[in-house]
Amino acid sequence: MALDIEAIRADFPILERRLPNGKRLVYFDNAATSQKPQCVIDAMSKYYEHYNSNAHRSNHTLADEATTALEGARDRIASYFGTSPGQMIYTSGATEAINLVAYGWARENLSEGDVVVLTEMEHHADIVPWQQMSVDIGIEVRYVPIDIESYTLDMDAFEVALDGASLVCVVHTSNVLGIRNPVEDIIEKSHAVGAKVLIDCAQGAPHERIKFDSLGADFVAISAHKMAGPTGIGCILVRHDAMAEMVPFMTGGSMIKRVTTEGSTFQDGHAMFETGTPRIAEAIGWGAAVEWLEQFDMREVHDHINDIAAWTASRMRDISGIRIYGDPESEDSSGAVSFLHETIQSQDLALLLDEGGFAVRTGHHCAQPLMDALGVPSTNRASFWIYNTMGEAESFVQYLEEVIDRFA
Amino acid sequence: MWPESLDEVVDEFRACFDSMERYELLFEYAKRNPSPLPPEEWDDDNQVHGCQSRAHVACFLDEQGRFQMRGGADAQIVQGLMSVTAMAVNGMSPNKVASMEPAYAEAMGIQSSLTPSRANGFLNMFKRVREDASKLCD
Repeated sequence: MALDIEAIRADFPILERRLPNGKRLVYFDNAATSQKPQCVIDAMSKYYEHYNSNAHRSNHTLADEATTALEGARDRIASYFGTSPGQMIYTSGATEAINLVAYGWARENLSEGDVVVLTEMEHHADIVPWQQMSVDIGIEVRYVPIDIESYTLDMDAFEVALDGASLVCVVHTSNVLGIRNPVEDIIEKSHAVGAKVLIDCAQGAPHERIKFDSLGADFVAISAHKMAGPTGIGCILVRHDAMAEMVPFMTGGSMIKRVTTEGSTFQDGHAMFETGTPRIAEAIGWGAAVEWLEQFDMREVHDHINDIAAWTASRMRDISGIRIYGDPESEDSSGAVSFLHETIQSQDLALLLDEGGFAVRTGHHCAQPLMDALGVPSTNRASFWIYNTMGEAESFVQYLEEVIDRFA
Repeated sequence: MWPESLDEVVDEFRACFDSMERYELLFEYAKRNPSPLPPEEWDDDNQVHGCQSRAHVACFLDEQGRFQMRGGADAQIVQGLMSVTAMAVNGMSPNKVASMEPAYAEAMGIQSSLTPSRANGFLNMFKRVREDASKLCD
């Protein structure tokens, strides 16, 4: 059944707003964060209005309701990602999730000279923790380059880099290029040499149904806010055997079993890694987002987004002076169109597009090594999601042409 | 407020039909920078930090002890605002520059350049000019 985009749009009140200059909002910054459907906003409001209380602590009715909702959200989210709740640790987002692997697993299990393989297209969140580990415990960090003709990972170089590796950390889908990496192949080859695998699915999860258990990665990092959920929450999915090798890098609050003046004992399993008061409202909101997403076939969602991106990119390639970074027309792309104009600087172009109501991202996208590989300091990026329409894309291309005619 | 010499510039922007026309004019002013700092002179010392685009300013006192700034940016909107700022401050006493407010940009209607979170450089550039002016005061 085809997606009813108008019905989907009706779930997002923000899409009706106009900017201060009266222009109707066209939101093409979805790779930065998606908008939130009314049911997510309502679920979070309902928690604060009706049963706000701390979870896992008190015995009163509100505390019981909050705990039930928090754990119910975990059950739903874990199920959505094809795994059990015991393999899911709530974090503040993908960045904290990757840091938890670095400080909770790598610092405990790796030592000087051990090899961690990254790629040039990683987000800073999947580079800096490993650089810090290099400083802290002396690991060797290797980077797999991209082929700047095809914008894909150099898989021959990957196989060379894999030699002697202990951990491989790869982004599922590039936030700049929109390229989906061959993560299944990467996981298989990495496991074949005994390396563990971390997949950064911050951009992948909004575009396809990640099934953790069948994917086979040891760690998967996810942010809620790019998939209709609230900001401030995400998770790391961890296989039981890898979790058994982890130690907490933050302590206190929910993760405590017993504290005496002589020492402390910690909760078992995922609870050991969830410190402080849980992000209760955010978890409930994310659970509502997942419930909302469950009504769709994500393959259809992906195709819808990809159709818009492919059409937009193909039209933009006809505009004089525009260069596109990535391959948005490809089947495996994920709805991001990164581009530059040869004379209108990216910040200027973003402001001029904003005047027309078009929200696009500009900058280095927290992927400066990739920018270095591409030989540019920044790009503009239009990124699409489920509620965007071909009509919006048409108006975007038309407006972009007008801006370029006027300012180039 | 701003120096009287800038009134004509402010009026020119005020007369624009809409914000796109104002940006068009700002692009024109970017080409008319009275005291440019070419890219080959851009370095870490004169870089304006906190901007996503590259912006550089070099401030000094001329032989008469008057404030002078030279500026350059890769973004034309920031470059245009630099041109206008240079028209405003060049030749003033450093004391006056150090206490100046960016009211002229507001009067010109370049609202989007006045929101700190836009990170587009103008406010950081203006702050840097004022700080340099403070350092150059007696």
